[in-house]
Amino acid sequence: MRVFCVIPAFNEEKNIKAIINQVRPLVDCLVIVDDGSTDRTADFTLREGAVLLKHIINRGQGAALRTGTEYCLNNGADIIVHFDADGQFLSQDIEKIAAPIKNNKAQVVFGSRFLNAEHSSEVPFIKKNIIMPLAKAVNRIFFNVNLTDPQSGFRAMSAEAARRIGWRQDRMAHCSEIMFEVKKNNFKVKEVPIRVIYHNFGQSFSGGFKILKELFIAMLVN
Amino acid sequence: MLQQTIALIIIASILARLYWQKQKNYIGMNEFLFWLTFWILAAILIISLKFIDKFVAGLGFSGSGIEVLLYLSVAALFYFVFRLRLKLEKIEKDITKVVQNIALKNSKDN
Repeated sequence: MRVFCVIPAFNEEKNIKAIINQVRPLVDCLVIVDDGSTDRTADFTLREGAVLLKHIINRGQGAALRTGTEYCLNNGADIIVHFDADGQFLSQDIEKIAAPIKNNKAQVVFGSRFLNAEHSSEVPFIKKNIIMPLAKAVNRIFFNVNLTDPQSGFRAMSAEAARRIGWRQDRMAHCSEIMFEVKKNNFKVKEVPIRVIYHNFGQSFSGGFKILKELFIAMLVN
Repeated sequence: MLQQTIALIIIASILARLYWQKQKNYIGMNEFLFWLTFWILAAILIISLKFIDKFVAGLGFSGSGIEVLLYLSVAALFYFVFRLRLKLEKIEKDITKVVQNIALKNSKDN
């Protein structure tokens, strides 16, 4: 089975070389989507031998993942993994996240920071005890989604699932939307424990409200 | 009466400016017709304020006609802002589609 990995990158010249070197040997094809970076992210990507898709202007992580996923589907991917460029995910978890799809045990796999007690203790206190429970409640109440990690950006999906999951959110709300689409399509889902190394706080309270606003507007537009 | 006269003078000056903009081709026919209708309607409402007062009193509103007009215009403004937001959202989606197509067409690998 051909595993493709999509990494959206925005001004990641400091991290991208290391990320490519870690991930490239573990997958059949590594696709970096440069989301309108103004630094040398694109130059480093080409030099390190990954596929480069360049957004001429910044359109957000959701849009970049959609571009990358479409490339994977057009180029014979069987499994598509979404990964981050900020170095917070561990490349060795890619094998773990793709395994249930390879073994026909799932069509979509989400990485979860909260399945392993040791890993979840590394999550910042406010995030773990306030933001994440609130996000989980929103997912459960509004989208009927009940996953242990409500905002996991580390996921894998089969090509068939990727074709049917049509997320439309360009920015950070794509995370919730993908979970909702997975639920709606009744895909076989599995969560696997992953480790996240926090270099920064990540999604804050205001970010959470922005996601809710984006989802609300999307509901109205639809 | 004085307030109505002032309002009508302001509308007349706006209409004159609108006509001038059309003559100079600063605005298109559709936009000209929209604003012409809008301001003429506003003038008609101002002229018939007494009738509107009676009309809204007949409907059971406690406020005067001009107050009801104000409430209606605020509601209309909210609606237009909402429509604008939806349109903006659609434009954003279209921009993303263009950017994605360009990216996929120009994919590079070593």
